Amino acid sequence: MNDLMQVVRGKQLASGGLAVLVTFGLLAVLAPMLSPYTPTEMDVPMQSPSGLHPLGTDDVGHDILTELLHGARFSLLVGFISASLSTAIGVVLGLLAGYYGKLGFTIMRVVDIFLAIPRFPLIVFLAAFLRPGLWTLALFFLLFGWARTSRLVRSQVLGERASGYVEAARVMGAGDPHIILRHLLPSTVPVALSRFIVEFQHVILAESGLSFLGLGDPTTKSWGMMLHYAFQYPTIFISDVWVWWAVPPGLCITLVVLALTFSGFAVEELANPRLRESRQHCRDEAPSGHKATSTRTGSVRPAAEAFVGGR
Amino acid sequence: MRVVQYLVTLIVLLSLNFLLPRMMPGDPLSCLVGDPGADAPILLTEEMRENLLEYYGLDKPLMEQYRDYLAGLVTGDLGWSIYYNAPVTSVLLGRLKWTLFLSGTAAVIYTVLGVLLGAVSAWKRGTKVDVGLVTTVFSLGSWPPFFLGMLLIIVFSFKLGAFPIGGAQSPAAVQAGGLAQVKDVLHHWFLPCLALVLTHLPGIYLLTRNSMLSVLGEDYVRTARSKGLREFRVLLRHALPNALLPIVTTIAMRFGFAIMGAMFVEVVFAYPGMGTLIYQAGAARDYPLLQGGFLLTMTFVVFFNLMADLLYARLDPRARFV
Repeated sequence: MNDLMQVVRGKQLASGGLAVLVTFGLLAVLAPMLSPYTPTEMDVPMQSPSGLHPLGTDDVGHDILTELLHGARFSLLVGFISASLSTAIGVVLGLLAGYYGKLGFTIMRVVDIFLAIPRFPLIVFLAAFLRPGLWTLALFFLLFGWARTSRLVRSQVLGERASGYVEAARVMGAGDPHIILRHLLPSTVPVALSRFIVEFQHVILAESGLSFLGLGDPTTKSWGMMLHYAFQYPTIFISDVWVWWAVPPGLCITLVVLALTFSGFAVEELANPRLRESRQHCRDEAPSGHKATSTRTGSVRPAAEAFVGGR
Repeated sequence: MRVVQYLVTLIVLLSLNFLLPRMMPGDPLSCLVGDPGADAPILLTEEMRENLLEYYGLDKPLMEQYRDYLAGLVTGDLGWSIYYNAPVTSVLLGRLKWTLFLSGTAAVIYTVLGVLLGAVSAWKRGTKVDVGLVTTVFSLGSWPPFFLGMLLIIVFSFKLGAFPIGGAQSPAAVQAGGLAQVKDVLHHWFLPCLALVLTHLPGIYLLTRNSMLSVLGEDYVRTARSKGLREFRVLLRHALPNALLPIVTTIAMRFGFAIMGAMFVEVVFAYPGMGTLIYQAGAARDYPLLQGGFLLTMTFVVFFNLMADLLYARLDPRARFV
């Protein structure tokens, strides 16, 4: 009975997360239509919220609601693009590394080095030295994001190869491309999806952090840059301006991160049947020869990893 | 094998540290002097120029520069800070203690709290307690750290006036010394520590919860239960020690991030640690200091990653043969 409740509750969290994500996605796509002004339009600076400006105006007279909606486009787009590209590269390299042993050895040595490099500090320093634009920054995230994905995908592929059906397909005369694309690729979907979520979170948090430190791209209006400008304003703490200037972008970042975490819980159940099973095993039957793969490489814990690795 | 891998990583990072300032358009010096857009205009005295020229040795061939750079590292010579007009090494070491104090205490607190809450959550899986814990821990911990810090300052320092706005201690208390100083330091420490604990809690918590969930399904746990042991004892003596295995290595790795992990929180609270220092060095374009900070951070992280790996191998014999 308890297990049933958990599934229901887990689904609630996950579908709530998904709903928030979809809403933000729509807001971002429809931003030009929804926002009351254009991002460059200027009015009297530092207005309090009113009918004309629901969230007031900032220090140069931009409408804050408009900035918020357009900020969603930047923040979500950067996160989406770096996360999906790094996942794609990671999956391709992971598949190759898992299927072709010799090539795999080489790829994994490179992966080892990339994994041992602390990437957030490195990106901070790269940004401090090179002052990159938004897209260069996205490139950095991409560069340091693929390695973990490819390692996880590789161990997934190794596991699949050990289970007989791949051998069976080969005996029946299936070629390498067929086996990789039709058999192995589908099995990596849960891993890839959870890695995508983690990367998405990481990029959104890191972008906002770098912008906050003044290392972001000053020409863009992401949520991070909004926070940067808000906190640069000398009297931000003394008046109530922070309530409608700093809180909305901060809240948006938090909501997206939280929504991704909760959607990740659903993917995790998908990716890690052991989590699903162990709950039943506690009361019912013993696991039938189902042994966890090494904790370091095998199991996928998107949400945990996001908070462990990301900060 | 592991050690070799980390050695290669360290060499890559050292070289990157060497190359970064030299990759910038122009050279580090012309960039400093000739950039009117720099956040803080820097006036180089003749003596500082000499110091810098000597450190970078830009007139020599690249390989020779690299050799000098490595030789400098071995002797602990990290160059001359432009902003502080002092040796980088001493500037860095002066800030390190505050970071270690803040991050260290926070790490102990969020680790203990995370393991406890995670264990409770796994034990009570699927109940209201579990769902409540998951929701609370993540709702409190998903904020960007700097934003959470800002909110804490606004609410507790500006609105309620309960805590200082920033810094690590006040001059008056330093003068007074003794117990008053200790109280003052703790008073300044509380809010940044709270921000660190809240933002780091979800990771440890979820890791413990998942790890416990899989351990609770193991045979020896059922054996312990069927022996008639009390649930509490099963949990504490049989399940938790085994569930802690992946957690121990994670914690070891986290210590490596101590320097940079607190960066945002330090900056927001103007805490005089390494994070704030590196941030200021970036804003002032103090490249030697930035390089020194980079080096110290990276060495720390790589060293603790290696420790985590070795520790894992000691704790779990199966991992030695991978």
